[in-house]
Amino acid sequence: MTGALLRRSLRRKLNGWVTLSVVGAFLALLPSLYIFFGLFQKQNENWQHIQEYMLLDYALQSLWLVLGTGACTIIVGVTLAWLVAAYDFPLRRFFSFAFVLPLAIPPYIAAYTYGSMLSYTGSIQTILRDTFGLTLDQRYFDIMSMKGAIFIFTLFLFPYVYLITKTFLEKQSAVFIENARLLGKNQTHIFFRIVLPMSQAAIVGGASLVAFEVLNDFGVTKHFGIQSFTAAIFKTWFGMYDVESAIRLSAWLMTLIIGIFIVERLVRKRKKYSSPTNRSTPLTRRKLRGIPMYATVIFGLVIVSFSFVIPVVQLSVWATWTYGEVLNETFWKLLSNTLFISSISITILMLLAVIVANVIRFSRGSIFAVALTRLISMGYSIPGAVLSIGVMAVVMSVDKELSSFYSWLGLGANKLVLSMSLFMLTFAYIIRFLAVGFNAVEAGFEKTGNRYSEAARMLGMSMTRTFFKVDLPLIRGAVLTGFILVFMEIVKELPLTLLLRPYNFETLATKAYQYASDEQIHQAAIPSLCIIAVGIVSVIFYHWLGERKAK
Amino acid sequence: MTFFEVKNLTFGYASGNGSVIRDFSLQMEQGEVVGLLGNSGCGKSTLLRLIAGLESPKSGRIQIDGKVLVDQGQFVEPEQRGIGMIFQDYALFPHLTVEQNILFGLHRLSIAERLVRLKEMLALVQLEGYGKRYPHELSGGQQQRVAFARALAPRPAILLMDEPFSNLDAELKTKIRDDLKRMLRAAKMTSILVTHDKADAETICNRIIRMTR
Ligand SMILES: Nc1ncnc2c1ncn2[C@@H]1O[C@H](COP(=O)(O)OP(=O)(O)OP(=O)(O)O)[C@@H](O)[C@H]1O
Ligand SMILES: [Mg+2]
Repeated sequence: MTGALLRRSLRRKLNGWVTLSVVGAFLALLPSLYIFFGLFQKQNENWQHIQEYMLLDYALQSLWLVLGTGACTIIVGVTLAWLVAAYDFPLRRFFSFAFVLPLAIPPYIAAYTYGSMLSYTGSIQTILRDTFGLTLDQRYFDIMSMKGAIFIFTLFLFPYVYLITKTFLEKQSAVFIENARLLGKNQTHIFFRIVLPMSQAAIVGGASLVAFEVLNDFGVTKHFGIQSFTAAIFKTWFGMYDVESAIRLSAWLMTLIIGIFIVERLVRKRKKYSSPTNRSTPLTRRKLRGIPMYATVIFGLVIVSFSFVIPVVQLSVWATWTYGEVLNETFWKLLSNTLFISSISITILMLLAVIVANVIRFSRGSIFAVALTRLISMGYSIPGAVLSIGVMAVVMSVDKELSSFYSWLGLGANKLVLSMSLFMLTFAYIIRFLAVGFNAVEAGFEKTGNRYSEAARMLGMSMTRTFFKVDLPLIRGAVLTGFILVFMEIVKELPLTLLLRPYNFETLATKAYQYASDEQIHQAAIPSLCIIAVGIVSVIFYHWLGERKAK
Repeated sequence: MTFFEVKNLTFGYASGNGSVIRDFSLQMEQGEVVGLLGNSGCGKSTLLRLIAGLESPKSGRIQIDGKVLVDQGQFVEPEQRGIGMIFQDYALFPHLTVEQNILFGLHRLSIAERLVRLKEMLALVQLEGYGKRYPHELSGGQQQRVAFARALAPRPAILLMDEPFSNLDAELKTKIRDDLKRMLRAAKMTSILVTHDKADAETICNRIIRMTR
């Protein structure tokens, strides 16, 4: 490019939309940068100790958790996806939806619900003792362990694998599977030799979402006493007040995440199969009969009971015991706090998401667009604890820079204005969930395409006016989807909220967690059910949207 | 006198390799209708997008009525160019009525002028009484005429049409083709028509250009 040409294209492209997107992307990157700079700080003594005695342990525990959960969610998720996509059996339509419902229940809520149910005084052992006179070995009920954590994670995270794989199978695989049938291959052969290899990319995509969720988790591992990376970060930060080492641990965890990312990319890059024709024929389903049919239905019912019905029923029972005590002034304060912080965060987040998506769609495929998308989506794969510490470091240093300004305002010297306010939490929510809102909006733009905006610009409307008069009305639905999905994520988010909230600021999630960790599990039921209700609404909405798109 | 000029235009898509348009030049008189024919994929749509300002060329110059639209150092944004375009699938805004679609490009006029122009356009395309309908409530031929009215309403300096007949069946096409010819002549529109059909070009255009890769 010659100088004049470069200047011409810079002048053209540097409008308010692009500037805002670039600033947003940079802000989203900032906390991670701080964490990586932490690696180059001088090591303190405590770190030597951590490195020598604990680091390997944390890494191994986290690794087992990720691998175990990954393997189990793949087995459960892919099996269910294949059954629902390729066979017809009673209740199939119900299952197709019900298998997504566990996403409405955050694993930490499930963990303390099951933990309490299975305890010596919990409902299951009580029933066994009182009704059947059975007192079994306590080992059978030991859920507070690595195995228990994998069990909980699998039950409540498998829908990621299930959803992505099922969508892929329904839309893309028909041609290949039908051909294999015509070539006389039986069902088992088709599943292992065609379906599994073909859906590899989809499965890995789903499993890596599961891995990110597991590494993000704080509630389950804390409640079950597992020394994962995240738990370790909490401990060094709040137990030892050693922020430097916490940052260093975070950097290590980020390295693990980047590893997962690279593996996912490599697998996906080479194994991206899609049918050669654009016209995707839906898979015709086979009718199941006899024993296979009963087995499938029973399997489905078992999964739905464990991953949704049982915990919700148990929580409802507890809620009836405790509503008089829980539903008071403080509870309404919780509710309004939750709504307040989420509506501020969602509004800013969706604004940014829409701006970035609008910039990207006109330069799709360019390096700029790819880089911008990556930066914007990065927050979702950074575990809450890591992000918190990064955000904290950034905001504290901003506060330090501003201290002379604060004292000029008469607030007093060394005052931490931003770090003590909701600013920090809002900032973190936005970075973490920007990807969710952005993906929703981008899907909307992809569906409408660019031609309406181009037509509007040919008729003399600027990019901004086009946006308000043409684009926004056309992507309204997508923006609404983004709002709802982000709302669900924020309401259930635990680690970020716990770490970055101002003193005494309680939300539904932090209160539920606090009750549970104070051994007041029955009191936790009502806030938990509220969170689950928000989750169910967004899952239903999401499902309804998918159904409508399919038509 | 040359009214519209494209000179040594070269362009390639960022994601594709090589140039789609190489050293293309074209001159047009005011009021002339030029037909653009060529094999699929030879870059006809791309050329229209470049003239419209929806893509920016690697090199070359486009100039209209003595005013430079794009060259090495300048780029006039599409909304400032005063060029009308009819898209292959019309791209009528689905959330706006026929009236609102036609009024869309008239925001620089006063309200009274807008309404006068709207009436004129509806009369020109013979769609009086259809103003309150939504695009999906119209037939293909009617949609085509709305697209025409919408593009012409702001009085563009030049009108670009990318296969405007490709969504119509043969019988309707002959009728619309004659209508279009009448309307273009009536408005004395300088225009470029991209088509696959030689007969289309011969009926409507003063001059035909074949594009090759
Ligand atoms: N957005 C794009 N990105 C990359 N390459 C493109 C893009 N759009 C078109 N092309 C390529 O540019 C070339 C010219 O495309 P163009 O659409 O201008 O052809 P056309 O002459 O209008 O063809 P048709 O008669 O089929 O409409 C083609 O080879 C096409 O593959
Ligand atoms: Mg074309």
